[in-house]
Amino acid sequence: MEVVPNKDPQLKTTKPPKSMSPWAMARRKFMKNKLAMISLVYLIILAILSFLAPYITTVDISRVNIGQMKLPPSSEHWFGTDTSGRDVFVRLLYGGRVSLFVGISCTMIILFLGVIVGAIAGFFGGIVDSMLMRFTDFVLNFPFLVFVIVLNAILFGKVGGVGVLIGVISLLGWGGVARLVRSKILSEKENEYVLAATSIGGRPNKVIMKHLLPNVLTTVIVQATILFANMIVAESALSYLGFGVPQEVPSWGNMLSASQQPEVLQDMPWIWVPPAIILVFTILAINFIGEGVKDAFNPKSFR
Amino acid sequence: MSITELNKAQTEKLLEVNDLKMHFPVKGGFFKRTIGAVKAVDGVSFDIKKGETLGLVGESGCGKSTTGRSILRLLDPTDGEVLFNGEDITKLTGKRLRDIRQDIQMVFQDPYASLNPMQMVGDIVSEPIKNYHKNRKGEELKAEVMDLLTRVGLPEDAYYKYAHEFSGGQRQRIGIARALALKPKLIIADEPVSALDVSVQSQVLNLLNELQDEFDLTYLFIAHDLSVVKHMSDRIGVMYLGNIMEVANKSSIYAEPLHPYTQALISAVPDASKIGQKRERIVLEGDVPSPENPPSGCPFHTRCPKAMDECSKTKPQLKEVKPGQHVACLLYE
Repeated sequence: MEVVPNKDPQLKTTKPPKSMSPWAMARRKFMKNKLAMISLVYLIILAILSFLAPYITTVDISRVNIGQMKLPPSSEHWFGTDTSGRDVFVRLLYGGRVSLFVGISCTMIILFLGVIVGAIAGFFGGIVDSMLMRFTDFVLNFPFLVFVIVLNAILFGKVGGVGVLIGVISLLGWGGVARLVRSKILSEKENEYVLAATSIGGRPNKVIMKHLLPNVLTTVIVQATILFANMIVAESALSYLGFGVPQEVPSWGNMLSASQQPEVLQDMPWIWVPPAIILVFTILAINFIGEGVKDAFNPKSFR
Repeated sequence: MSITELNKAQTEKLLEVNDLKMHFPVKGGFFKRTIGAVKAVDGVSFDIKKGETLGLVGESGCGKSTTGRSILRLLDPTDGEVLFNGEDITKLTGKRLRDIRQDIQMVFQDPYASLNPMQMVGDIVSEPIKNYHKNRKGEELKAEVMDLLTRVGLPEDAYYKYAHEFSGGQRQRIGIARALALKPKLIIADEPVSALDVSVQSQVLNLLNELQDEFDLTYLFIAHDLSVVKHMSDRIGVMYLGNIMEVANKSSIYAEPLHPYTQALISAVPDASKIGQKRERIVLEGDVPSPENPPSGCPFHTRCPKAMDECSKTKPQLKEVKPGQHVACLLYE
């Protein structure tokens, strides 16, 4: 239920209206966490800037301009230009698009797969549980890096774009979430309200969707933020090594890989420092948000 | 007896439990083989007539709750039958099982764990109705739920609140409202007041009594507190280690308990009217044996003050020793 804020300034100091859902209580607590709120605002601004990049600048990001290579920052090129003469600032914005998009889509797919597998395994138990969990172990045992490199080598030039990367990362990454969700469901289903949900005629899918998942969701949300940060790091790391998104697509990891050349690393910090800084701040911000969400959902605040 | 009389006698019994067994397998070893079983309920038989309250007492771990849950099929019993209105419900599946759950509802023990913390009270109480009657919704459903809430003694604005905003006693009222929502015939109350303060216990018990008259309910009342059971029940069944030891009317069981275990239990109840007099307490020696490896013969013989040689060999069956008083003890063979 929505809590209507009281307009009267005198009454603002009195106790908050009583009936609040656990969600509303968590939201209120989260809003009071300054670090998390600053991080959230930073992330939202970053996302808006990145996704509106085509409308903010008119510079063609893929065009190589030999006449303007390796220029230091100036009023024309805020962060200078890189070794191919492309504007670093514009590439940073476009890079954010790719990095955030890869991070978000991987997180979504991983959560989707992980929650479904974990919830079914945890709720039904027995042989269903054993089979799903053995499959999860199997997936978890794939050597991530080797698999990505090999797949990319096979698919190189055939299937382009970031889709391959998202698919590969997601398919290899859902095991941890599945395990986490399963263990949470296992402990949560011992509560009598789950028995009650069955005894009042709820079918298994309804018991899972309406009773178990909402109570597991808090853990999943916290896990999602960590996952989001990890996925951005994974994308950057793979791109830095040259196995991530294709070279011509700007991403923070691809921009960082320029620093593999000694002369860039030593003499042209404007090329690699901006993506490094923005990457660090983004990861930090996501982690602060995750920490804030975790605090907000601390079970001691309700029950 | 004419056929109509016979039918009447059968319909009077709302629930009949025959030799119900619930064994939980114990798995062990490398391949998770079944290496034993915890015999939580090991051949329980009783019946409940329409409109009465059967109290089920026993120490913790004796299988009371398991019996209750097997009747509702929250657990699948290993063996035996549960006849509800003459129909065996132990083998039902799917839609028939869901249908039968409309008539049997449960009030749970822990008011803190039995309500979903993420749901509004209104949603908790209306959910059973939504599960079975898809056509009832909107204002009509809301009015119905409000009615139920007021009936169990909660304010109407409880509808929009969450379980964490209520005290233990009020939460138990919410649980009762949820159980009433489908207008069931039988309510299994699984230690409904054992988690509450004594002052609140009586309020909830009185509410259950009032509702019984109003909604024509039959109760299976599970408890370990003898005074609570005495207050609530018409008849009382005493359980020990997964077996029923004695079933009788409340008056006869308190006046003249026949089974040695019942005698020991009753002697442990403090009686305010006999203050100053010396109480004759029967103190039982030893511990309850493990249900994984119950004693042979009579399960109680290891602690029974009146045990005979034969008790360790023959398992006594429930027999009507006095009118309406069934006892499982070789002393009365």
